[in-house]
Parts: sequence; structure tokens; C-alpha cells
Amino acid sequence: MDDKRRRFEAQVLPHLDAAYNFARWLAPAPGDADDVLQEAALRAFRAFDALRVSDVKGWLFAIVRNCHFTALKQRQRRSQVPLPEEHDAVDGEAMIADTPDPETLAIQLDQARTLDQLMQALPCEYREVLTLREIEDLSYREIASVINAPIGTVMSRLARARALLKGHWLEKVEGAPRAVR
Amino acid sequence: MRVQAYFDGEVDAVSAVEIERHLERCAECRELQRHLSQTRTALRRDLSYHRVPPALAARVRDALADEPVPVAAARERLRPLRLPRLRPFWSGALSGAGLSAIAAALALFLWLPPRTDAVVDDLMSAHLRSVMSTHLIDVVSSDRHTVKPWFAGHTDVSPTVADFDSQGYKLIGGRAEYLARQRSAVLVYQHGAHLIDVFTWAADGTAARGFNEVTRSGYQLLFWRQDDLEYCAVSDTGRDELQGLARLIQGIR
Repeated sequence: MDDKRRRFEAQVLPHLDAAYNFARWLAPAPGDADDVLQEAALRAFRAFDALRVSDVKGWLFAIVRNCHFTALKQRQRRSQVPLPEEHDAVDGEAMIADTPDPETLAIQLDQARTLDQLMQALPCEYREVLTLREIEDLSYREIASVINAPIGTVMSRLARARALLKGHWLEKVEGAPRAVR
Repeated sequence: MRVQAYFDGEVDAVSAVEIERHLERCAECRELQRHLSQTRTALRRDLSYHRVPPALAARVRDALADEPVPVAAARERLRPLRLPRLRPFWSGALSGAGLSAIAAALALFLWLPPRTDAVVDDLMSAHLRSVMSTHLIDVVSSDRHTVKPWFAGHTDVSPTVADFDSQGYKLIGGRAEYLARQRSAVLVYQHGAHLIDVFTWAADGTAARGFNEVTRSGYQLLFWRQDDLEYCAVSDTGRDELQGLARLIQGIR
């Protein structure tokens, strides 16, 4: 096996599970995430020579994210659905995704499933910062570099995402509509 | 926003003290802090973590195997760096063998590991091998009375074995690894979605390492010494999480 492959296997492949989990939270349909992961792995391999970052994991996340958005645009173009407009993070409530509607989620589902669905109901911008911060434990700076946005945006999205998730959780589990903080 | 930054460990020590003082006085911010903590706990414990299914892993490996490795890859990458106006000069200076040599030197420089330490390399390799293959655990148990005797028969050391499930670190088993020219013991803990390997081997008496952190390829390694044993916790989880486990292990004798 040649040197490049060996380095790639040692440095990039260990992060494949994390990359896949991230892809699954970006593109909820498993088939889509599978394609995104394969494409991302290939792109990562091709770009590997030029890699000069120390944060391999964040670099791989950024590639997964680019592949996701490229695939999403292709799917949307194919199905003739117009692209959604770019939303501003400040306009939080308007960004709640239309499917699946949190109100229609079955109430009796167990906690994990409920949490999965509540997460799924959040807009992509919020799912990705939550996954990167809470599950992958990336710093603000690392997240900013993955999503290619200023740290201030990371912080405001994170705050909004957490508040929305918490608010929906309280509504769902405790049945009490409360002010989203 | 400041409470959130404090919660995420993104403020300096001075600000942290200020915020802590504020939290003592402000019930609203304490409530916010509690919410942040609950949300994190719920997400880390209950949110589905999707690992690559075996069929997909095979598909990705096949696709990578088909991918050619161009000999001149490094040369092509450098091309955009050339400024159009300087082209005659650069194309002369960087042409042919010259460019290849520079590219090779650059590649070598970029790939020099930040620290050449044989033990770190061995630990990383052992950890990655076990995570990537199915050889994660030789003895599957959360019961220290099962794991500890198993080590006695399979390794040269007898490390502290304890389950910290209630503190978020669930002991899921142990395995043996050949490390530092001996059969070392590895305890495998699960923390949220992450696996933590805790390696233990007999200290050789010369290299007193102390409490020592190393980051390698996004993985954290945390070394410490306890009695006459060397410990190293390795994981892709955060530094704080590793230190949490290290403190728990150090706390029992």
C-alpha cells in the first residue's frame, strides 16, 4: 500500500463514524447520508495532499457539509422544487422546518425517540451546530471553521438552537407551552 | 450569551470568575445554566449516534481503492499559488525537478508529526486498530470482579478496575495490548457516544511523565502515573471528559 493511502487510513478514516453521524443529522434520509459519506470520503482522499490543517476531524466535517449541500441542490433541482431562501439566524421562529411538524409527533414515544424527532424538526442550521458542539465537543472556533461563519453567528445559532430544543421538549414532554428562552 | 459561553468553556479565567459571581446573585441566569446543562445531558445520552453500517464502510473502502494516486498530485496543488504576472520567473524557478523537489520537501515538512514519541504512536495505533476493527474488547463486562481476574491471566499488570456508570463513564470491558514491551491492560469505557481506552502498563522507573496531555489527529491522550503504573486515556472525546475519568480512577485506591 502506498504512503498516501496509509496516511489517509490512519488520519482520516478513524473519524468516519463521526462524519457519518454528522451526515445523518444533516441529511435525515439514511440513503442520502450514505451517498454524502462516500462522496466526502473520495473528495477528502483527493484533497489529502493539499491538507495543511491540524484539525483533520473539522476538515472532514466541512467536506461532509459541502457534499451534503451539493447533493441537496441537485435533488432539489431534479424535483423542480425551488431552493429555500437563505434565512438569517436572527429570525429564529421562521426557520422551523415544515416537516415533520413537532405538534404531530406521537407523544408516547420514549425519550430518545422523542429527542431524535425534536432534533429532526429543527432547521439544518441548528442541527449542525448542536451536533458539532454537544455531540462532537468542537469549540466555537472549530465550529465556525466547519460551517464557514463568524464565531458570533455560531454563538447566536447555538443559543437559539438550544432554546428551541428545550422549549419544544418542555411542550412535548411536560405538555406545558412555555416561553422559549 | 455570556452564560452560554461560560457553560461551553469559552471564556477566560477572569470572565469566568465574574460570571460565577453573577450566577450567585441572578436566579434567571442560574435557570438558564440549568437548562443548558439538561439539554446537553439529554443530547449526549439519548440522541441517536449513527455509526457507519458495515455495508457502507465496505462501499467506501471499495470506492477509495479504485481511486488512483496521481504521482504529480503535489505539483498540481501548488499551481494556483503562482501569480500570473510573475509567471515567467516562477515557471523557471519552479519547473520540472525544482518544483518536484520543493513539493516533496513541503510534503515532508507538512507531515512531520508534531511530536516524535514512540509511546504516543503506539498508543494511537493500538486505539485506532481496536476502534476500526472489531477487536475492541476481549472480556465484555461492567463487573470489575470479572474484568480484574481476567487481566491477571492475560496481562503483566493488575490495574485499578472500577465502573463509574453513575458518573457517566460506563465500564464495558477490557482487553490486552502489547505495549512498551509488555502485555498491558486496557480498560474500555463508554462516555456518551464516545469510547475511551485506558491503557495501563508498568512504569520503567526512568520516565516520570506526570500529568501530561497530547493531542494527535483530533484524538486526546492523557497520561498520568499512579503508584508504579503508567496510565494513558485515549479518546476522540474532549479533554475535560478525559480528565473527569482520570480523576475518578485516581480517586480509588
